[in-house]
Amino acid sequence: MGKTADLLPGTLDMLILKAVSLKPLHGYGVLLRIRQISRAALEIPQGSLYPALYRLEHQGLIAADWGQSDNNRRAKYYTLTTAGQRRLREETAGWNRLVSAISAALNTTSEEV
Amino acid sequence: MLARLRSLFRALASRRDFEAGMTEELRFHIEQYTEDLVRSGISLEEARRRARLEFGGIDNVKGDCREARGLLIFDELGREFHYAARQLWCNPGFTVTVALTLALSIGANTAIFSMVNALLLKNLPYAHPERMGAIYTRVTGPRGYDERHNLAGEQWELLRDNVPALISAVSTRGTSGVNLQAGSQAQYLHAARISAHYLDVLALQPTLGRNFSEDEDRPHGPKTAILSYSLWRNAFGSNPAVLGQSILLKGEPYTVIGVLPEGAATPLNADLYTALQASREGEGTGTNFEASVRLRAGATWQEADAEISRAWSLRTDRYELKDNPGAQVKYYCVPLQKAETARLRPQVLTLMLAAGLILLIACANLAGLTLVRMMRRTPEVATRLALGASRWQIQKQFWIENLLLALVGGAVGTGVGFVALRSLLLLLPEHFLPAVRVSLDGRVLAFTLAVSLLTSILFGMLPALATRQVDLRSSMSSRAIAGSGGQRLREALITGEIALTVVLLAASGLLVRTLIHLETLPPGFNPNGVMAGKASLDDARFHSPAALRKLMDESTAAMRQIPGVQNVAVGLSLPYERSLINGGLTISDSTGTGQQVETDEIYVTPGYFEALQIPVLMGRSFTERDGPDAQHVAIINQTFARKFFHGANPIGHYVGRNILIVGVVKDVPVAPGVDPGAPLTGEQSMYIPYTQADASSLPLLHGWFQPSWIVRTDGPVAGLTAQMQRALASADPNLPFSGFYSMRDLLAKTLTMQRVEVALLGAMAALALLLSAVGIFALVANIVAQSTREIGIRMALGSTVRQMMIHIARTGVGASALGLVLGLILCAGALRAMRSVLYGVGVYDALTILVVLLTLSAAALLAITLPTLKVARIDPARTLREE
Repeated sequence: MGKTADLLPGTLDMLILKAVSLKPLHGYGVLLRIRQISRAALEIPQGSLYPALYRLEHQGLIAADWGQSDNNRRAKYYTLTTAGQRRLREETAGWNRLVSAISAALNTTSEEV
Repeated sequence: MLARLRSLFRALASRRDFEAGMTEELRFHIEQYTEDLVRSGISLEEARRRARLEFGGIDNVKGDCREARGLLIFDELGREFHYAARQLWCNPGFTVTVALTLALSIGANTAIFSMVNALLLKNLPYAHPERMGAIYTRVTGPRGYDERHNLAGEQWELLRDNVPALISAVSTRGTSGVNLQAGSQAQYLHAARISAHYLDVLALQPTLGRNFSEDEDRPHGPKTAILSYSLWRNAFGSNPAVLGQSILLKGEPYTVIGVLPEGAATPLNADLYTALQASREGEGTGTNFEASVRLRAGATWQEADAEISRAWSLRTDRYELKDNPGAQVKYYCVPLQKAETARLRPQVLTLMLAAGLILLIACANLAGLTLVRMMRRTPEVATRLALGASRWQIQKQFWIENLLLALVGGAVGTGVGFVALRSLLLLLPEHFLPAVRVSLDGRVLAFTLAVSLLTSILFGMLPALATRQVDLRSSMSSRAIAGSGGQRLREALITGEIALTVVLLAASGLLVRTLIHLETLPPGFNPNGVMAGKASLDDARFHSPAALRKLMDESTAAMRQIPGVQNVAVGLSLPYERSLINGGLTISDSTGTGQQVETDEIYVTPGYFEALQIPVLMGRSFTERDGPDAQHVAIINQTFARKFFHGANPIGHYVGRNILIVGVVKDVPVAPGVDPGAPLTGEQSMYIPYTQADASSLPLLHGWFQPSWIVRTDGPVAGLTAQMQRALASADPNLPFSGFYSMRDLLAKTLTMQRVEVALLGAMAALALLLSAVGIFALVANIVAQSTREIGIRMALGSTVRQMMIHIARTGVGASALGLVLGLILCAGALRAMRSVLYGVGVYDALTILVVLLTLSAAALLAITLPTLKVARIDPARTLREE
């Protein structure tokens, strides 16, 4: 396993939205998918995944439905709602702005001041 | 926001599904993870352990999930309510006492508020009720008033033609009796006369046919009628063909032009309506019309008021200014709802106030009970505090228990209120309330809920404050249950509720005294052994004096033939009733000063005074010789003689147009006409022979009053009323009586308002007395329970049972006595507001106060004595053993 980073506060929601935006997933699938798309760099505390899912569902950003898992078991699948898509776009844009601003700030050399 | 509420609601509604789904989802996760771990080569045992470990505590995760859904607060509340319910269930005595107290007091409030709601808050049952109004007249000056004044014909014409902001209508005041010939059967009905746009003002459209046209409302216009739905159903078998047909009404053919919808009530509440055909002549010369208006679209009430003032300043007859020099007159519209209920408003508000006092008394009781319960639970509270519960948690628990009690009490109270309201409405005579429906609607239920919540706060507040002072160490160590502070607080509460009970008892006592005074007024005649029946002579067949004379002669003669009948007579009105007022008489005495007289005027047949046994004090009674062509004569009552002749002999004087006063009779109580005030008065009256009544005014007179046939018998006569009806039928086969009544019935009818007031306020006072007695009982019983040890020790040291009883009772007696004194002081201020509804009894009536004090003292003594008797059963030896 490579080096993992701690999640910044507030980023878990963003990652969950991203994960389910690709394909409907059950909770465990969300965990695996985030690990996969972050190239195993981000480790999500399992206990905080479900409250986050429930909160997002409560906010109407994702929707839940019971379906069949790959090994034919009943599982709850989450999909992104329209409101969720909008939120994901906003969060992504905001994140990108933040990242470029911070890296610009951090990469400043003394000559540029 | 909406999505969140929906999600919370879904989770709450299918709570079990939510929990099961969550469990299944989490288990699925752990099992999947376990499988993946096994696949990566870890043993099953180890994989399970690690999966669990990495997931964290399942219950914590579940809690977090619930919180994410907003369920946490409900779970906690649910638990608290569950705990509170168990606490209450374990103390059935306390719970039942509190719930019953609440149910009775909240029930009383619910019932009375339903009346307030129906009479003062709810709109009239018509379209756009806010656009409906009545016209008030405010007159300043020595004879000022501010009320809905009736209109004279000139005012009506100006209002109708010169106030474009309003749709205006007038009607008769109330209904009058008419005869309807339906098939072979003659019926006595209640009819009202209304102007062309009356039903437009109410926004009522006939279900069949149409409203009166302006043409039909002109004087001498075509005779038409509109039927109420119930009359159409009962008398015409709901036959739509009756429309356009002629019916025989008041002895003349009337064309039916409309039928009102089912359930449509007008403020007049008549069986049938005819066109008013108002003018400045006849009844239009006096203020005999009642106006109702509706604001036209686009107009404002300010415009309407201005137009009315302008229109009515043009009048030739400004009667408001007569005998009232320098008066200012102002006309303005008020909501029709207010005008229609003005009569009952003070009564209803008084009752609401009384109901509020009941609630306060109940709260004082409950605060006392809760306080005791809190004190008993001091060890429990101390233990919980010691175990780490916060004061807030403990307080919350108490508040939730109070809230639960209040809600249970409110629910039972709604039931009690429903039953109370039902019986209250049964108590009221028909048509007592204006066109409103009294029901437990959403607003009443909201009120009940609010009152319940308020109650829980009121009775929970003191005890909750008291527990804030629980001292951990002393409570844990000592066995003392209640502090003396709580004791003193309870005494104060009892004192307060007794004071309020004194006020309620005194108020209802004064009303009872008023009713007794009115019911036992010296009648001035012999009311026993008289049977009376009214018939409508507002009928074309009896307009001519000859026809009237024939009817009177033949019917009274036939009734005299009934075995057992002593005397028969007819009078336009009877004692206890309202009479016709004649305001235009002049006394022409020898000095020729020409006093103006306003007096009751009653036409009677010869034998009226004999039949009612009204003593003739001076001069003579009427005889058959006082015919239309003889000298016109009158007999006056004592008040008339006293007021206008000031002790001089009135006999031989003339009044009005050459009418000779030939006799003076004793006063009888009548409903006031000349001087509105007391419900029964002995105002000036003048009797005239019916044969000498002005023939041209007879039709008008009979449109307002239905004369009564009175029969005096020497004892009970079997089938008297049937024989009276047969006797009347022998004179005219198509003339029905409206019904039969004794003088006692008439008196009761006139005093309806007083009887209802006494019944309602009396019930409230009784409830207050009961609650106070329960409060005192609980106080003393608790003192006995707390002092068992002390009493045991004292008795072991030589005190007698008697001494101990007095020692215990002292507190209760002290609190009660203080309450009585406080109550009397309150009465001194509060009862003055009752002055206007009291007759024959002063506000500070010694007898009433005495009875109130005795009643309350007796109840208090009983409530103190019963629990004190327990002292005798205390066994000092056992108490000491337990020590």
